[in-house]
Amino acid sequence: MSVASWFGDRLPISGRQFQELTNEPVPYHLKRWWFALGGTPAYLFIVQIITGILLAFYYESSPSTAYQSVEHITTSVSFGWYIRSVHKWAATLMIVAVILHQMRVFFTGAYRNPREINWVVGMCLLFCTLMTGFTGYSLVYEQLSFWGATVGANISDTIPFVGGFLKRMMLAGDAYNQSTLSRFFVLHAAILPVTIVFLIATHIAVIRMQGVTEFQFKDEDEGTARTFNFFPDHLYTELIIGLVLMVVLSALATILPATLGPEANPLQTPEVIKPEWFFYVAFRWLKLFTGTAAVLSMGFIVFVMFAWPWIDNWIRKHTRFQEASVWIGILGVVTIIGLTLWEAFARH
Amino acid sequence: MANEGSRSDLSAPDASHHAEPESPDRRQFLDTASRTAMVAGVVGGYGGFALIAGKYLYPATTGDVMWQFVSEVEGIKVGESIRYRGPSGEMINITRMRREGTADDFIALSSTCPHLGCQVRWEGQNDRFFCPCHNGEFDPSGIGIGGPPGDAGQSLPRYELRVERGLLHIAVPPPRFASAEDRSGIVTADEGIVGPGHDPCLGCESDRPGYHGGEELV
Repeated sequence: MSVASWFGDRLPISGRQFQELTNEPVPYHLKRWWFALGGTPAYLFIVQIITGILLAFYYESSPSTAYQSVEHITTSVSFGWYIRSVHKWAATLMIVAVILHQMRVFFTGAYRNPREINWVVGMCLLFCTLMTGFTGYSLVYEQLSFWGATVGANISDTIPFVGGFLKRMMLAGDAYNQSTLSRFFVLHAAILPVTIVFLIATHIAVIRMQGVTEFQFKDEDEGTARTFNFFPDHLYTELIIGLVLMVVLSALATILPATLGPEANPLQTPEVIKPEWFFYVAFRWLKLFTGTAAVLSMGFIVFVMFAWPWIDNWIRKHTRFQEASVWIGILGVVTIIGLTLWEAFARH
Repeated sequence: MANEGSRSDLSAPDASHHAEPESPDRRQFLDTASRTAMVAGVVGGYGGFALIAGKYLYPATTGDVMWQFVSEVEGIKVGESIRYRGPSGEMINITRMRREGTADDFIALSSTCPHLGCQVRWEGQNDRFFCPCHNGEFDPSGIGIGGPPGDAGQSLPRYELRVERGLLHIAVPPPRFASAEDRSGIVTADEGIVGPGHDPCLGCESDRPGYHGGEELV
């Protein structure tokens, strides 16, 4: 009995069926690199899982040894600096890719009826990615980790009604204590990645059910093929992107390796304290407005982002501004870039 | 070899027949070459990463040692054996054989049986180290004389010792983290550390002569 028939008897699916199942016809516009941005964060997420598992072999999530274990990984373990730096840079690029993918979807109106649900799933992915980034740099237990977590917890404390509860859940007490780091570790290495896996699966399932939005570009003939095969054509594209990303990540990890700031000191807040770049917007916003007003306005903006497909639909139905979303989007992007640069260059 | 072939194949027709339309052979060749390059890139790139990951996971052994204080020389009587835990957790039996006051009076042997890793214990009445797991026996210098270690010719690994100003020191692997909590020191029968731990000066003035901060003496 051949190996193929042995498996064939036990797994009742033929090669042809399997090919049909996995072979989503891909719209022709995905031949353009700009449209392969959805696969990029997914690829980087796999890089994060692999390097994250490797880091977890040596990382210790106790305040007394966390910093030393990161130092040990960076300076003593073979290629530890490389694994840690790739993890850090892949996180940065993943956030960039998620934001670029979301901008592409926004400006091409790909979130409109019937794709509202996938927009919401995508928004959840964005916030899970940001949360993973936040809990990730909290684990290093350098000054930024400690004070970032403290400030973050106190921000959530200002949310009316549930703030106090959220803060206590986050810190495992009223202030940063011995149990806090374990919570961040479990969130970072278990809860958030598993949530992201489920969200990505939903995201892809919904795409498969609805089909990818098709675009016709002006420079294309009417007779151009509408679709091409996922396997192997689009998979090759993704493979090339994967290899290029590995080269970019390795280059960044070598040229700009992940550094280690001073160890967390609960008794002394540093003179200048800033979060990671992807929170610069929120950090500057919190400086512009005070306390609950800042948090509530930020919450309102997040709500608008989630509900945008419906808000956009309402604007298109009830006003004559059919492309209002483009102008609102440009305004949003300019504001985000402006606040980020302001926070990046301002000393306080 | 494949690369050299491809270079000459590609360069010759390009130079002389610039306007010639693509031949099916050439198309086939480029197709195969690009596929091969792609597979080589994928295997090389991710294979390289897998090698790095393997090297990363394999525990590093530096071979570094540090000198740690054990006890005052006069604190261990001739014929007496103490158990000592090193900074990275290894258990060591230190036995005093003579009374000359030098490092040669002592012998420091790992208390981990080389057979299957159980802890051996000193039996003064039988003049031997004994492993309770498989009845392994070692003479006072750590050479296997009975049981599986005796049959296989295995000995207990030895640690270097030295005496400075009446204080006995041992060369042991350093702790994993330089600033980790140090649990090294003499271990009592109930696994508790004797006295003030590894540092004779713990709790006394640090300017006392002979004080080394309990760390490296090199």
